[in-house]
Amino acid sequence: MDFSVVVEYFPRLLEGTWVSIQLVLLSIVLGGLFALPIALARISPVLWIRSLPFAYIFFFRGTPLLVQIFLVYYGASQFDVVRESVLWPILREPFWCAIIAFTLNTSAYTAEIFRGAIQAIPPGEVEACKVVGMSKTQMYRRVLLPRAFGIVLPAYGNEIILMLKGSALASTITILDLTGMARTIIARTYTPIEIFLAAGAIYLLISMVIIAIFRQVEKHQNRYLGSVSIKVPDKG
Amino acid sequence: MSKVPALELIDIHKTFGNVEVLKGISLKAYDGDVISILGSSGSGKSTFLRCINMLENPTKGEIIFNGESLNLVPSGSDLVSGNMKQLTKMRQQIGFVFQSFNLWPHMTILQNVMEGPAHVLKRPKHEVMAYAEHLLDKVGIADKKHMYPNQLSGGQQQRVAIARTLAMDPQVILFDEPTSALDPELVGEVLGVMRNLADEGRTMLIVTHEMNFAREVSSDVVFLHQGVVEEQGAPSKVFGSPESERCKAFLSSVF
Repeated sequence: MDFSVVVEYFPRLLEGTWVSIQLVLLSIVLGGLFALPIALARISPVLWIRSLPFAYIFFFRGTPLLVQIFLVYYGASQFDVVRESVLWPILREPFWCAIIAFTLNTSAYTAEIFRGAIQAIPPGEVEACKVVGMSKTQMYRRVLLPRAFGIVLPAYGNEIILMLKGSALASTITILDLTGMARTIIARTYTPIEIFLAAGAIYLLISMVIIAIFRQVEKHQNRYLGSVSIKVPDKG
Repeated sequence: MSKVPALELIDIHKTFGNVEVLKGISLKAYDGDVISILGSSGSGKSTFLRCINMLENPTKGEIIFNGESLNLVPSGSDLVSGNMKQLTKMRQQIGFVFQSFNLWPHMTILQNVMEGPAHVLKRPKHEVMAYAEHLLDKVGIADKKHMYPNQLSGGQQQRVAIARTLAMDPQVILFDEPTSALDPELVGEVLGVMRNLADEGRTMLIVTHEMNFAREVSSDVVFLHQGVVEEQGAPSKVFGSPESERCKAFLSSVF
């Protein structure tokens, strides 16, 4: 094994890393924004409001991320409407196709995590809101969402790490993310072990940073719980 | 004492599935009344109290607050509020103290007490803060105002919950077994606070198992059995010379 290739191609690997980080950050932020209304609709007492996000989540959790990426990347261009629309300059870019697929996918998972967190809040705390005469909006803004945010953190950190690893699939639609870049380098140098080891180490490092950040946020957010551990609602 | 009752419940029924828990309970509370609701477990006393501010939806009946009848419409087998605004307004004037305190754990003690008046009634922050501190002082927890509920004992949490209720300046306060979740040595401190409130002339409906407390503090005692009022009257009468056999049996079992 010759690790000098790693040193030589390290700047390229870092380029790929930056693309991966952009993919994860953008889709996590956008996915999080979509997830909240989806989660709220999911717990609506009205059947038809509830069933729409149910179908959405059912589809995106039940099909492989790779299939979803291909559907967006190869599928969208099949339609004349899409090719002639103002969005075409965006939709023909593989990067944005990946962002769309990732966002849809992670928003489905995140919505389920949010839903679990909101439903994990003890009913007594909700009743306490009712008896002081809070409106539904006040209840969500003042108690339910801040509480859910604390409960959601461990599971949400997990979802981000899953997203990071899932982002490697972006390489299948010509994106030079960390995995894509590694494969390109290997095609030139024929050193798969060295380069993939290096790429794996970088993924591991990013995961560690994410874990550390979440540990800090969790510590701060859940300081009121003292030593009591919180039940993490599982996906699903 | 005004002629219009502060709170009037007429013929409240509640059915869970096939079980009729409340079989038509009526009750009037005038300003300044302290009414204790007694009964063995399963008699429906908590359910009745929870029906008053619609934490539980009654199957049938009427709720009148200050002469204003609550708009109730049928939904399935129950009645639900037909006017959320009206219900919300009524809830703001009726305090409720839970058996399990139900403080909001992500807020400090002070924030818990300030939440209602500051964010629901939208009173000025500085006034609310001063009032909240005064109330915490009154229930004897002023020194813990920056702590979180989980750092307090049950008795302290319940006193905070009472302060939180008082902060809304409620006309009537409902207590749902406020000492039942507490260790015996902590019961006294909560009852002490409630006794002071009764002495101030506050209107209170109390579901409790504390017989001595009910006897000393109440202006009226209601004994429920299997969803009906078995005995009702002044504490001296209900405790001293009850007419109902069931009430006699209940009292002899607890004393």
